[in-house]
Amino acid sequence: MTTFFYNDAEYIVEPSGYNIRRVMPDGSTSFIGANLFPTLTASEAEAKAQALVKSIQPVGIKVVGPDISRPNMIGDLKIIGPDITRPNFIYWDKDSTSFSKTS
Amino acid sequence: MKMKDSVAIITGGGNGIGESVAKYLVQNGAKVAIVDMAQKNIDRVVGEIKAMGGEVIGVQANVTSEADTAKFIKATLDAFGKLNIVVACAGIIRDATMLSIDKDTGKVTRKMGLDKWQPVIDINLTGTFLTLRDGAEAMVNGGWEGLLVPISSVNKAGQIGQLNYSSTKVADALMPKIIVGEFQMRGIHNIRCVGIAPGYTATPMLTGMNQEILKGLLHDVQIGRLVQPEEVAALIGHCIENGAIDATTIEITGGLCYDHGIAK
Ligand SMILES: NC(=O)c1ccc[n+]([C@@H]2O[C@H](COP(=O)([O-])OP(=O)(O)OC[C@H]3O[C@@H](n4cnc5c(N)ncnc54)[C@H](O)[C@@H]3O)[C@@H](O)[C@H]2O)c1
Repeated sequence: MTTFFYNDAEYIVEPSGYNIRRVMPDGSTSFIGANLFPTLTASEAEAKAQALVKSIQPVGIKVVGPDISRPNMIGDLKIIGPDITRPNFIYWDKDSTSFSKTS
Repeated sequence: MKMKDSVAIITGGGNGIGESVAKYLVQNGAKVAIVDMAQKNIDRVVGEIKAMGGEVIGVQANVTSEADTAKFIKATLDAFGKLNIVVACAGIIRDATMLSIDKDTGKVTRKMGLDKWQPVIDINLTGTFLTLRDGAEAMVNGGWEGLLVPISSVNKAGQIGQLNYSSTKVADALMPKIIVGEFQMRGIHNIRCVGIAPGYTATPMLTGMNQEILKGLLHDVQIGRLVQPEEVAALIGHCIENGAIDATTIEITGGLCYDHGIAK
């Protein structure tokens, strides 16, 4: 099992079957994927796991909605519009300082 | 197109019909991306698919957002390298009549607010559009064979109390005609579009409802029971493998009738 940090969150990669989990603030874990990359070598799978985490949890995207001026509720989830003022909004490749692409 | 080794995105895959479709596809050898707003739903379904030995990713996303849509398409391609099947199951209801009238005065006491109208339009219509649009874009650019599946409802026929919902579902039902027409016009021959319009289906939303009301609903169903989500999933599986089904929306209702026995 290896762990890595990206965008201020910790991720766990379990080599058996390449399960990827995200460690939530309360210490519980959330699934990113399971049984992935069965045919890849460990190092290839590790690299793919990191790339996948970056596309599933892109920087600057929270739970977003269609229109920032019109928050909607779905159950107890509040949907708010995308924070387009955030400098790296929608730029998938621009990473946070805590896990920059070049590191 | 074979289900085995195909790659599918299921929005709303964290519960109900979407969950059943995802599991059915996995049982038949597909790899799936579960897209849902609710992380706890994703965790449960991804965990269960993992236990089945299926290859799966879970992406928390809101289908009404272009950015989130781009995110779950990219994540699927990153994980599995292609995309063949897109099932747009994310949908909600916010039932209310357009006007409520005071019995004594005959005057309007309440109107359906935008809080009930807009989320239903955003998720069921705009969300389905974005999911199918970006799914189709990936398929065309990747050169992969594909099937796009908007989820309509038998209430596309026009259900009182559902001006918002029925408006979206009639639009979803029409999408295959237009999308396939445009594919034909553009010379795209390897991507089909088939809508599915379920009747009352045994998802937690319906099975958990007041049992007396449920009995009343079943009174109108010819087979006398709810449609099972696995039956909807099997129909989608058939549509995937039967390459002649295209540009249409198929109802699966168990023979849902209006009062006096006219099928809806
Ligand atoms: N259950 C029925 O009887 C029935 C009948 C006809 C049509 N349908 C349609 O089938 C589809 C699935 O219905 P169901 O009964 O399985 O619903 P459900 O409530 O059980 O599941 C819907 C899932 O979609 C998710 N979701 C909601 N809003 C979302 C958003 N903005 N982005 C991403 N995910 C979101 C929810 O979290 C949930 O997990 C819906 O489009 C519904 O209109 C259902």
